[in-house]
Amino acid sequence: MSEVTVHMSVNGTARRGRVEPRKTLADFLREDCVATSVHLACEHGVCGACTVIVDGVASRSCLMFAVQADGASITTAEGLANPDGSLGIVQDAFRQCHGLQCGFCTPGFVVSVTAFLQENADPSLEEIREGIAGNLCRCTGYQGIIKAVQHAAATMAGTPTAMTTSTEGN
Amino acid sequence: MAQAHVPMADKHRDRAPLFEGTAARFVGQKVLRKEDPRLVTGHGQYVDDIVLPGMVHAAFLRSNVAKGRITKLDTSPALALDGVIAVYTHADLRYVPGTIVATMMQAMGGAACPENLLATDDVRFVGDCIAVVVAESRYIAEDALELIDLVVVAETPVVNLEEALTDTHIVHKELGTNITGTIDIPRDPHIEGLLTESAHVVTATFNQARQTNSPMETRGIVASWDRFRGELQLHMSNQNPHEMRRRAADLLAVDESKVHVAQQDVGGGFGQKMFMPREEAVIVLLSREVGRPLKWIEDRRENLMASNHARRDRATVTFALDADKKIVAGYVDINEDAGAYPFGGAGAGAMAGMLLQGPYKLQRTAFKSYAVFTNTCGRAAYRGPWQFESVIREQMVEHVARRIGIDPVELRRRNVIQWEDLPWTTPMQVMVYDNMSPAETLDQAVEMIGYEAFRAEQKRAFEEEGRLLGIGFSLYIEPSAQNMGALATEGATVQISGTGKVDVFMGTGSHGQSIETTMAQIVAEELGVHVDDVEVHQGDSNTPFGGGTGGSRTASIVSGAGRAAAIQVRQKVFQIAAHLLEANPDDLEIDSSVISVKGTPAGKTVTLAQVSHTALYATEGLPPGMETGLEATARHRQEAVTWSNACHVCTVEINRNTGAVSFARYIVSEDCGLMINPMVVEGQVAGGVVQGIAGVLYEDFRYDADGNPLTTTFMDYLLPTAAEVPIIEHGHIETPSNTPGGYKGMGEGGAIGAPPCVFNAVADALWLLGVEVFDHPLGPNEILDALATAG
Amino acid sequence: MKPAPFEYHAPETIADAVGLLAQHGDDAKPLAGGQSLVPLLSLRLTRFDHLVDLNKIGALSGISRDNGHVVIGAMTRHRAVELDPSIATSVPMLAAAMPWIGHFQIRNRGTIGGSIAHADPAAELPAVAAALDAELEITSKSGVRRVAAADFFQGTFMTAIDTGELLTAARFPVWGKGSGFAFTEFARRSGDFAIAGVGVGLEATGGKITRAAIAFMGMGPVPVRATDAEKALLGVSIASLDAAAVARVAVGATDPTGDVHASAANRTKIATHLAEQALTRAASNAAANA
Ligand SMILES: Cc1cc2nc3c(=O)[nH]c(=O)nc-3n(C[C@H](O)[C@H](O)[C@H](O)COP(=O)(O)OP(=O)(O)OC[C@H]3O[C@@H](n4cnc5c(N)ncnc54)[C@H](O)[C@@H]3O)c2cc1C
Ligand code: FES
Ligand code: FES
Repeated sequence: MSEVTVHMSVNGTARRGRVEPRKTLADFLREDCVATSVHLACEHGVCGACTVIVDGVASRSCLMFAVQADGASITTAEGLANPDGSLGIVQDAFRQCHGLQCGFCTPGFVVSVTAFLQENADPSLEEIREGIAGNLCRCTGYQGIIKAVQHAAATMAGTPTAMTTSTEGN
Repeated sequence: MAQAHVPMADKHRDRAPLFEGTAARFVGQKVLRKEDPRLVTGHGQYVDDIVLPGMVHAAFLRSNVAKGRITKLDTSPALALDGVIAVYTHADLRYVPGTIVATMMQAMGGAACPENLLATDDVRFVGDCIAVVVAESRYIAEDALELIDLVVVAETPVVNLEEALTDTHIVHKELGTNITGTIDIPRDPHIEGLLTESAHVVTATFNQARQTNSPMETRGIVASWDRFRGELQLHMSNQNPHEMRRRAADLLAVDESKVHVAQQDVGGGFGQKMFMPREEAVIVLLSREVGRPLKWIEDRRENLMASNHARRDRATVTFALDADKKIVAGYVDINEDAGAYPFGGAGAGAMAGMLLQGPYKLQRTAFKSYAVFTNTCGRAAYRGPWQFESVIREQMVEHVARRIGIDPVELRRRNVIQWEDLPWTTPMQVMVYDNMSPAETLDQAVEMIGYEAFRAEQKRAFEEEGRLLGIGFSLYIEPSAQNMGALATEGATVQISGTGKVDVFMGTGSHGQSIETTMAQIVAEELGVHVDDVEVHQGDSNTPFGGGTGGSRTASIVSGAGRAAAIQVRQKVFQIAAHLLEANPDDLEIDSSVISVKGTPAGKTVTLAQVSHTALYATEGLPPGMETGLEATARHRQEAVTWSNACHVCTVEINRNTGAVSFARYIVSEDCGLMINPMVVEGQVAGGVVQGIAGVLYEDFRYDADGNPLTTTFMDYLLPTAAEVPIIEHGHIETPSNTPGGYKGMGEGGAIGAPPCVFNAVADALWLLGVEVFDHPLGPNEILDALATAG
Repeated sequence: MKPAPFEYHAPETIADAVGLLAQHGDDAKPLAGGQSLVPLLSLRLTRFDHLVDLNKIGALSGISRDNGHVVIGAMTRHRAVELDPSIATSVPMLAAAMPWIGHFQIRNRGTIGGSIAHADPAAELPAVAAALDAELEITSKSGVRRVAAADFFQGTFMTAIDTGELLTAARFPVWGKGSGFAFTEFARRSGDFAIAGVGVGLEATGGKITRAAIAFMGMGPVPVRATDAEKALLGVSIASLDAAAVARVAVGATDPTGDVHASAANRTKIATHLAEQALTRAASNAAANA
């Protein structure tokens, strides 16, 4: 089938590529835009590992075709770090709360949680559990992830929870 | 959140001294993970992120019938498609039998099933590999699969354990029977007498449901064969780089030194990626034929239906108790479903039989175990491969308690091994328990959950409101960090650069275990440097040989090697520093990379960087005759397994209208010896617990009567989400082991303890209505069926 | 797991879209949110030579009022309906059903039209459309027709939409004062398609029920209206409604099948319970709205 040219802004960088219409947005981001934070753990919409923000809306990139995102502005987990490379609030919360082990699900969670907290800045425990139910993790049992969402919400509100960190040793 | 912590160090005997001459800054602390910055920002590097010049993509043609004869296989239409490079079938593989059998298994007596990497003239399960397309992209490769002209004449498959046992239809015609790996430890007359004449004799049959590991990252491999150098470079999602190197070398009949295996990040495995599976072996073989880097990334449907399955077990168990309700004998008959092509770790029944006694003072046990082949996906290790022992025993303990009318906690207390009983030799004389605390974890769990109060509330809620609350326990011990074969050894190289920074090389294959952090903690501690100054390099075959990451072996075995190498390096650091400071090496100490004479706070110091600079750049400053450099390789040999243990307890409620189970609380009181990093310990426990819960309440890989898999997407194979899981509370008891550092294994325990715990809680709730259950899973459908049998 | 090749079309008007659908006939398929279609394409369970992407057709999105109906454009996202405060007052059953659909990321892309056109027997919106006697607006080159929900859902994944036709809007009637609604379901995990679900609407005047609607999902190939139970409810005092008894009658209208998650008998049990819950809640909402 004939290829088409697509343009999009990925984490603020203009990207252009020629794609077959069937190429998913996820594959385009991974292969043509060096956004390998976009992970494919199911390719049928259930696991959330491929979640990215498309024009402000958290979406499964495995369920969109790259052609559909022509002209769009995309943010992936790479784009959620601070410009100086330091961790964004949600990313740091995952680290502080041991919200990851193998890390494969993590970029999708970071994107989903960022979007979730934008709509609900002060979620209850139950709201958090429902809010992140669209992302699967096989390693953590979600314990650290739930804490990370609480921690990120508190940090954004300026009242960080007392997560003890002792990288400095005692 | 409740947390309890009981150090048992004072009870311990014969423990090696910990951390001479360093400040114990990092070990035992919540040190944040060194892996995280790259992973949370999406800059990890998993196998699918590897892109090599000229790389091509493979896809497997798989059987869609469970058993059948291939009468036509014409690949030419696929080959004609633009972008297709080659299509391979069995005849194209230059495979030497025996070369994918896991090294560990070869040592134990070889393969149990035929090794058809690709189907020869028949297919044996839905998902069986028939042909491989190699194309310019995975898209094109999948297009080509549809063009292959394949005709399979279906035959009657063997779909379940019961059918397999009759041998009416045979899975592997070469073998003539479906039954394999029988181990029979018969009942001697004494046991026979106890099992027939004791005051209480109870028998029950339990089934466990079929599950699959489902790491979030599926399997994947990039193999590049360099025909001019005769070398293979493998990037591979795996847990065991040295095993993969060995298998790949054998497959290609080249020297091991001609194979390099590397991976940076691995997205989970849980046993699936410990040994060389069929598909990866095919890719290794074909990389030589293709002559371009060859990538295969498994998709989720393939992973669910054709990577590996586990847990489909059945057991009939008999316990005999005396008039005091002491368990005096046990016998179990265990069958496991091995599927068609099991690999690596199948054959867990014997271990389950040997561990039947668990943490109880059971003097006499015997068992029979065997596996059967079926026309289903092959079995392999899944976190706690023989956890069925705990399922059988702990479900049986509560079943017996119901039958003979005793509280299940009381029954456990009467039988559990106490500290004073250790060391304890098991009835079959093959294992010696020591340095464990089952009685203490039981007490801690009972206290944390508030057992008496729960029982009162359970009674009230049932009598006044008809609600079904339940509580379940499971108490287990786990021989972790095995002392057999390649699993008993591990090496580490510790090397200090001229700037005083530390590189550590280890043979592990971390896939989420935080090894880069915990092993850096150990080495930092021993060297007296900051953990940030230590980099652990692993996941690569250019490291000292090791048995891979699995079997809960890293904390005690790998750390043993890392610690030993670090101590050697530290000794040399002190010798050089002593020379520079004109002091006696025995008087020195090191803290935060500064070496000083003990007890002289204002005295002269020298930094590690100065010492290493001397060792590598200003070598004239070394003591006369001393070898240059600051590095050491050391190995650890595991003399005995470590005995980890834990008690799980949870409380649940059954919705009588929908059959749904919801958790009130979930507590794990665990003893993994001294904790290197409590944050990591709790993370490992929690992950395992949720996998265990899932096995009872959610996950159930199903086949229909024709052997067609019914749960091949994440829509139907139900991994729990954050909305379904309990908040897990932890209790810690630390009984140091005899290994250096006092650690015990703990990576698998959560997944071992949880299934019987959850099952027991549901069973306890159902018992309010006089209903008993015996089988996993306990989804809403099964629970509604059970409720329907209530009077 | 990659889709087979297709030709991609992105019309900007309804006319162009139906023109393309007419031109390519059965070889073409509309692509809405893609949350159901793309998994099927990737799993290669289905394939089309032409995909007609509706996402650029602005005229297909939006919520408006027309003659006692709330009219929702086919391409209106689930999330837009969920977050629109007017829906909670005008079509409360719809508002109650929305959060049950998948997860927020799915609802961000998934569309009202896509859900209804897809006609998954376990999906929420077909059941809501059936319960409320929604009208489905179908457009083709030859014009626009309206089909009652009762005639629209014809079988599992089968609807009254013909080759060359596009679902352009769904029209949900607004009920009057004294009405109350409830929607509930039971699924294995949060966000899953339900084992069973039910929507109930009751309207009462002077304390007596004057209008009743009960529709089940997951209980047959299409959404099932419990017409006998609805009739039996008419004239009954809303305060003394015997929800359990009505639920038992209602579920009699269904003919579920079993699958890996639940047998037919257990589906019926679950649905009976859900119907009782929903009837009770709808009655109390109606009473509160009197
Ligand atoms: C993880 C996950 C969980 C989900 N859970 C649920 C759930 O609990 N409940 C639920 O109801 N859904 C669920 N869904 C499906 C989701 O709601 C879909 O959005 C919906 O079913 C289809 O809407 P869509 O806009 O995505 O349509 P698409 O996927 O684009 O299309 C679906 C079908 O409808 C056709 N179609 C679409 N629009 C039109 C139109 N205007 N005219 C004619 N034909 C059209 C398409 O050709 C296609 O055949 C889930 C999906 C995922 C991935
Ligand atoms: S890969 Fe997109 S949701 Fe799983
Ligand atoms: S951290 Fe491994 S899947 Fe979530």
